[in-house]
Amino acid sequence: MKRGLEIFKGPWAYWVGAVILAILNILVLIVRQEPWGITNNIELWAKWLGSIVGLINSQDITLNQLMLFSGTYLNLGVILGAFWATLAASQARFRPSKNIKFVLSALAGGFLMGYGARLAYGCSIGLALNGIASSSLTGWLFIIALFIGSWLGSKILIRIFL
Amino acid sequence: MKEITSSQWKLNLGFSLFMLLLIVLLMQVSIQLALIFALSLALGFTLQRSRFCTASAFRDPILVGTTKLTQAFILLLAISIMGFAVVANGAEILKIPLKLNVFPLGIHTIIGGILFGIGMVLAGGCVSGVLTRIGEGFAMQMFALLGLLFGTAFGGYSSPYIRSIFGEFSGVFLPDIFGWLPSVAIQLLILLILWEVTRWWHKKQNGVG
Repeated sequence: MKRGLEIFKGPWAYWVGAVILAILNILVLIVRQEPWGITNNIELWAKWLGSIVGLINSQDITLNQLMLFSGTYLNLGVILGAFWATLAASQARFRPSKNIKFVLSALAGGFLMGYGARLAYGCSIGLALNGIASSSLTGWLFIIALFIGSWLGSKILIRIFL
Repeated sequence: MKEITSSQWKLNLGFSLFMLLLIVLLMQVSIQLALIFALSLALGFTLQRSRFCTASAFRDPILVGTTKLTQAFILLLAISIMGFAVVANGAEILKIPLKLNVFPLGIHTIIGGILFGIGMVLAGGCVSGVLTRIGEGFAMQMFALLGLLFGTAFGGYSSPYIRSIFGEFSGVFLPDIFGWLPSVAIQLLILLILWEVTRWWHKKQNGVG
């Protein structure tokens, strides 16, 4: 009984997570006939939201179309699945950000990630993980750049917060 | 260990029923979408429970000198490469259409990767990490998602222009050059070397043991 609860309460070992994620990643490929990716769909939502609030003039996409894209369910599922996991562990709550520095850093980081991902054709999932899983050279090139970027980002992070 | 917060089992039961209902509803629209939704729920659950984070996998060796997550990421890559190879070959034999992520490469891959790398460290998580932490209730990553929306829209409009300046090459699909078995073997060998490098780095940073 105690052991059964451990699955929901305590964090799993990283390697356990890696094996389960790999299996799910392969299953997504089989069902979707296309690898798991995230930012392509976020761009479509961004364009739709942008046209709703009037920031951009884009008529390319409608809500009905968005609700029929598999990418929408992939992204929604990840958010809801993570929420489900915290709920199952009785740890679900809102975690506000007290420091304005964190908020600005998150905004800037999100923007850079979004821009970089669209420029390179994918994010750390669609291009780094599944580009390499697809045996594509672009994926390998991307993780080298990711490593350089993380190094630069760490330098910036230390500058801002220390 | 005694929990400080009260049990949320009632909420959990309600939410579980709601998810089940959503999956059943989706099945009326498309079995494929319902399956994908169920799989992504499992992905989110696993990402949260295992504290898996691509950003940490790249950042932690530099920032704190630990490589446990980096090694897990290498393991994820190794299994995925083999699984994708099997699925791709199976699809070919069964004549089922399958799209793989073989994208054009060029300067934009490097610039995009560097920007993405900086961004994921600043945002405290890569895109999947941001989605996971939103599910966990973190306000910080909700701002990161706002940044992501602006970034992807801006990137979507401007990147064709940037790519046209630097030029791009069509993607290189390794099995086209080496064949399936050798390219899987080469990639696994590279991952094995990276694994040894991370082990060496971990020992160097944390002392022997």
